[in-house]
Amino acid sequence: MSSLVGFLCLVFAVGINIFLIFSKYLLKLKIVSFNILIRLSCILTLASFLSLIYAYLVSDFSNFNVFQNSHSDKPLIYKISGTWGNHEGSMLLWVSILSIYAFFFSFTKKIDLNLKKLTLLIQSFLHISFSLFIIFTSNPFLINSVIVHEGLGLNPILQDPGLAIHPPILYAGYVGYSIVFSLAVASLMHESNDLEWLSIAKKWSLISWTFLTGGIALGSYWAYYELGWGGWWFWDPVENISLMPWITGLALVHSLLLVKGQQILKKWIIFLSILCFSLSIFGTFLVRSGILTSVHSFAADASRGLFILLIFFIITGFSLVVFLLKFPDNNKPVKFLFINKVSALIINNILMIIATLTILLGTIYPIIIEVLTNNRISVGGPYFNSTVIPIMIPGFLLMSIAPVLSWQTNKIKNSYYYIICFILISVIILIQSYLTEFNSWGVIGLILGVWIIIASISAIILSYKLKLNFKFLQNINPHLAHIGVGIAIIGITCSSVFQKEYDYNLNTGDNFIVNEINVVLDKIETKNEKNFQALRANFLIQEENSFKNVKSGKNYYPVSKMITSEAGILHQWDRDIYFILGDQKDEKWFVKVYVNPFVSLIWLGIIIMICCGFIGVIRK
Amino acid sequence: MILNHYFKYFLLLFISLFLFYFEALANDNLDNKVKSLTLELRCMTCQNQSIYDSDAEFSNDIKKIVKKKFEEGKSEYEIKQFLVERYGEYILFKPLFNFKNLFLWAFPFILLAIGLFFLIFLNRKNKVS
Amino acid sequence: MKKSILLIPLIILLAICIFTLIYLISGKDPNKPPSALLNKDIPKFITKSLYDSNITLSSDNIKRNVILDTENVERKYTLINFFASWCTPCKIEHPLFFKLSKEYDNLFILGINHKDSYSDATKYLNEEGNPYNFVGVDSDGLIALEFGVFGLPETFLINKKGKIIFKFMGPLTKEIINNDIKPLL
Repeated sequence: MSSLVGFLCLVFAVGINIFLIFSKYLLKLKIVSFNILIRLSCILTLASFLSLIYAYLVSDFSNFNVFQNSHSDKPLIYKISGTWGNHEGSMLLWVSILSIYAFFFSFTKKIDLNLKKLTLLIQSFLHISFSLFIIFTSNPFLINSVIVHEGLGLNPILQDPGLAIHPPILYAGYVGYSIVFSLAVASLMHESNDLEWLSIAKKWSLISWTFLTGGIALGSYWAYYELGWGGWWFWDPVENISLMPWITGLALVHSLLLVKGQQILKKWIIFLSILCFSLSIFGTFLVRSGILTSVHSFAADASRGLFILLIFFIITGFSLVVFLLKFPDNNKPVKFLFINKVSALIINNILMIIATLTILLGTIYPIIIEVLTNNRISVGGPYFNSTVIPIMIPGFLLMSIAPVLSWQTNKIKNSYYYIICFILISVIILIQSYLTEFNSWGVIGLILGVWIIIASISAIILSYKLKLNFKFLQNINPHLAHIGVGIAIIGITCSSVFQKEYDYNLNTGDNFIVNEINVVLDKIETKNEKNFQALRANFLIQEENSFKNVKSGKNYYPVSKMITSEAGILHQWDRDIYFILGDQKDEKWFVKVYVNPFVSLIWLGIIIMICCGFIGVIRK
Repeated sequence: MILNHYFKYFLLLFISLFLFYFEALANDNLDNKVKSLTLELRCMTCQNQSIYDSDAEFSNDIKKIVKKKFEEGKSEYEIKQFLVERYGEYILFKPLFNFKNLFLWAFPFILLAIGLFFLIFLNRKNKVS
Repeated sequence: MKKSILLIPLIILLAICIFTLIYLISGKDPNKPPSALLNKDIPKFITKSLYDSNITLSSDNIKRNVILDTENVERKYTLINFFASWCTPCKIEHPLFFKLSKEYDNLFILGINHKDSYSDATKYLNEEGNPYNFVGVDSDGLIALEFGVFGLPETFLINKKGKIIFKFMGPLTKEIINNDIKPLL
C-alpha cells in the first residue's frame, strides 16, 4: 500500500513539474500560483519519500527494495537509515532534497520575478530528469513478486550512526549547488544586468558548501573508525568525487566575496556555478554506474549509468552552450594589483581550479587509458599527494594573509609585524623539529598551520575592537574560518606525517608499551548482539594510576555473512591511540596499534569551518 | 661574545647535518624500503587499499616477495617491473612515468603555466587601461 | 578568439562523455582488471604432480607440446585452471571442465592446486571428480605469482606456441566457454 502511495506521489510531482515547464509557453502563470505549484510538488516528493521510510519502519517486505535492504531484527535507527542506504532510496533522497531547496527558494524576495521563474523552471527540469531516472531505472517502490516474511538485511558496514546521517548531509551539499546553478544559468538566459542574484547565490552556495563540508567530514570520520585502516583519507575515487565540488564550491564562495569589494567577475562566477553542480552530477554518475572500484560502490547496472550520463550530458551541455551563446560582456575591469585582496582571491581561485581539474583527470585517467589501450592503471594516493598538495601550498600561504590585504591598494597594514612573525614561527618550528623528528613535509605543514592561525588572530586584534555581540562575530567570521583551516592543517600534518605504528603478537594477559604507555591485552570475548556477533578484545590502558578500557574487534553479521572490523580508539586531545585486532595465529592474536598525534585538531578545525559557514549564511 | 655567537650557528649546522644523515640512514633501512614501496602498491583483492595497509593474504605474500627481492639486492625499479609484468600496471598506485601517462603527469604543470600566463595577461591589461 | 576559449569546456565535456560511454558500453568489469600476461609467453614454472611427486611438468613441456601421458595424441592447446578445495566458486565451474575435455581432444587441461594440503586436495578431487589431465601442486603460491593470479578460480588458455590467448577471473560459465573459449580452439 505505502509503495503505491509513494509511487503515485512521485509521479504526480513529476506531472506538476512538467506542467510548469509547458505553462511557460502555453499560459502565463502568475508568480503566486507558480510558487504554490513548486511547493506542492515538493510536498508530494516528500510524501513519496516518507512513504518509503514508512515501508522501512514497519518492515513491509512486500516492497522489493525493503526486502533487499532491511531486516526486521535491525535497530530502529538503521531501519530508517536503510531507506537511503541503497541506490534506489538514496536517489529518492536526492530528489527530495532537490525539491526542498526549490521549496525554500520559492520564498526568496528581492529578486526579479522573471529571473525567479526561470530559476524555478530549471529546478523543475532537474527534478523531472532525476525523477524519471528513478521511475525508469531504479524504482524503490517495486512490489516483491513472492511473499516473504524476512528481509535480506542492510550492508553491515552501513550500520553505524555516523554513516546513517552522512548521505542526507552530503546530498544537501551536492544538491544545494543546483540552486546556484539554476540561478546562474537563468541569469544568463534572462540577459539582465542586475546583480541582485549574486548575493542570493552567495547565500545558497555557502549553505551547500557548509553541508558538503559536514558530509565529507562525517564520511572520513566514519572511514577513520570503521574501516580500521588507521587513516581517514585514502584518495578513494568516491572521496575524490566529493572533493571536486567542495574545492570548486570554496572557489565560488570566495569569488562571490569579490562582489563585496565592488569587483565583479561575473563570467567566472557563472562558470564556477555551472562547474560545481556539473561535478556533483558527474560524481553521482561515477558512483552509480559502478565504473570505478571504490570502498563504496552501489550495485552496478549499465542502464543506470547510461541514464545518468545522459542527464549529465544534457544539463552540463545545455548550460555550457547557454554560457557560450549569452556570454556576458563589458564587465568592469578588474583592479588587479601585484598584491591586493582581488589578486590574492584570483590566484587562489586559479589554484583551486587547477587542483580540482587535476583530481578530475586523476580520477578518470584510468578509464581513458583502458578505453584507448585496454590496459588498466591505477591513479592513487601517491599521485594526488605529489600533485595536489604542492599546488595547494601557495594557496594556503596566500590565504593566511588574504584577510589583511586591502581591496584597493598594494600596501599591507603592519606588514613589518607580519614578516617578523612569519620568520619567528618558521625558526621556532625548524628548531623544534630538528630537536624531535625532522620531516620536510611536517615542517612545511606545521609552519603553514601555525602561521595561518597567528596571522588570523593578529588580524582580528589589529583590525577590530573586541565587542561581545553578533556583529563582531560576523566581522571576524572569515578570520575564524581561516583559523579553523589552520587548525585542521596542523592536525592533518601531524596525524599523517608523524603517525607511528606498532605490530604485536599477543596472548591474553600480555602487556606491551606504546609510546611510554603500558597496555594490557586483558581478555577476548564474544558476545551475541541483536543482529550480529561481536568479537572484542579489551585493552587496559594504564595512565597514572587510572585504567582506561578500549575495546577493539570484529563483528560478524550472520544475515549478510559479512565481517566488519571495529577499531578501538582511545581519544586524547593530543593523540589517538588506535587498536586493531587481527587474526589469531598459533594461539597468539595479531594486534596493530597506531598512534595518531593531534587527530582531534582535524575535526575541531572542520567544526569551526562549519560553524563559520552557518554564521556566514545568517549575516546580511 | 662573537665567537660564542658563531659557535651557536656552528652547533646548529652540525646538528642539522647529523640529523639529515640520521634521516637518510633511517630511510635506508630494509623495513622502511619495504614500507615505502608497498605503500605504493595496490592490494588486488581489497578495495583501494595499499598492500602495506592491508592484511589480506595476497598482500602478505607480496610483502614477503618485496622483502625477499630487496634482500637479494634488487632495486625498487626492478621489483616494480617484476610485479607489473605479472599483475599489470594496475598494481601501481603511482603511475609510471611513461609515454602513456605523460599527459597525466604533465597536466598540473600545463595548468599552472596557463594560470601564470593568465595572471600576466590580466596584469598587462590592467596596466594598459 | 575569446569565444573559442569558451568552446574548451564543451570539448572537455564531450570527451569525458565519449570515453565513459565507451567504457560503459564495452561492459568492462572494474573488479576484474585485464591480465598483463595476455598475448605473452607463459611464465616459467615447474610443478609436481599431486599424485606422484616424481612426475613433474614444466612450462617447457607445454611450449613443446610434449605431453607426459601415454596416449599419443598431439595436443594443441592448454587450459590452465587454478583451483583449491577451500575455494567455493571453484566448485561451480568444476563440472564444466568434464564437458570441455570430452568435446575437445586437442585440449590439455592442467589443474593447479593452489595453497592446499595434499589430503584436502585429493579428497576434493575424489568427491567432485577429476577433469584435469594433470594436477600440479602449488603449495606456496609461487606459480600463481608468476601468472599474476590473485583470486581463485582463474583460468588461462594457452595456444600452440605457448602464448596466453585468454584469461578469465572467477568461475567460468557455459556462456563464457561458448562465447570466448570455444571460438579460440
